[in-house]
Amino acid sequence: MFRRQLLAAAFLVGLAAATAGWTHAAPPQTGSSPIDPHKVFGSKNAPITMEVFSDFQCPACKTLYTGVWRQLFENYVNTGKVYLIHRDFPLPVHAHSRDAARYATAAARVGQFEAVERVLFEKQQAWDASGDVDGTVAGVLTPAQMKKVRDLVKSGAVDPEIDRDVTLGKSLGVGSTPTCYITCKGQTYPVIGPQSYQVFHEFLDQLLKQ
Amino acid sequence: MESSPLSIRRVLILAARLVLGALMAYAGWAKLFIPFFGWKGAFLPGISPHPPVGIALALFATQIDAYQLLPPWAVTRLAHALPFVEIALGLLLLIGWRLRVWASLVSALLVGFFVIVVRTYTLGLTIPCGCFGPGGALTFLTVLRDGVLVGVSLLFTVLVFLEARSPHPWAAQEKAT
Repeated sequence: MFRRQLLAAAFLVGLAAATAGWTHAAPPQTGSSPIDPHKVFGSKNAPITMEVFSDFQCPACKTLYTGVWRQLFENYVNTGKVYLIHRDFPLPVHAHSRDAARYATAAARVGQFEAVERVLFEKQQAWDASGDVDGTVAGVLTPAQMKKVRDLVKSGAVDPEIDRDVTLGKSLGVGSTPTCYITCKGQTYPVIGPQSYQVFHEFLDQLLKQ
Repeated sequence: MESSPLSIRRVLILAARLVLGALMAYAGWAKLFIPFFGWKGAFLPGISPHPPVGIALALFATQIDAYQLLPPWAVTRLAHALPFVEIALGLLLLIGWRLRVWASLVSALLVGFFVIVVRTYTLGLTIPCGCFGPGGALTFLTVLRDGVLVGVSLLFTVLVFLEARSPHPWAAQEKAT
């Protein structure tokens, strides 16, 4: 009786192993959309490309930024292991996220993306409640830089860039933020939701090891 | 009086055993081998099929981590253990050996999953379920599916225990001879 059960188990294991090679698909075309050179970090020749679809008003994006970003930059981006691309994906459920994306994109054009990204995430709770994105951004820019940023935001010149990122995200299947598409050796993997640095770096190390 | 080998209870146990066993084994296998992306691109967006198992497990760890329930060291250990536990439990259910033990364990596991899924849904977290490898966001349908599975599993466990209390007709025949 038990021998029959063992045979059944062996059959099932064999069936699973045989079907493991059923399918194959081309990886999604991440990084194919035009990239703002002020919103990329690290070496283009890095073995890993990480495309991050983010919403400045999203709490999970803030968690990812505050918990992972500093160490990620120190250990992977600045050491040439990861090429990081920021993509805006303002979600319609957040009243001010589109505005924040506009200010961040405009700040990128005056070379101040990192400073604005930092202040928007660090003071997210305050401007989320007040809606004062302009005042928050003004805190880290000089008056001359702020004037340029305001002009760019008012003119709508940065909107097509944000729309391009959103269109790209939708075409890749992004449904929530943060969503990171991590490409290594032609294979692309999605990492969705907030992460801790330890788990994230183990995944990156696995990719680098292969 | 001898009971029939094809009673409703036995048929229900067999059906639940096959469904739950296959689902458990598939859930574990899908986490290790990430199948079916090829022809279900819309369902599993952006994932390359069949990465090495080490990468699949590290990717699964990021899915567990997104629930923000466990410390990182526990996330890593759970990610490395859960797929193998699911496959083992699935196969044990399919084989049908010591059903009371494995049915109870599967029910406990599914109830645990269900509680986590309900919590995530009510908190409004838009993260992937990770139940059957990488996939779309956790939705009400995920909650519904897990609820049905918990119901089936609990009923299955109760039936298995009831069945164990009444002697099997074939076992009775063997005893008689």
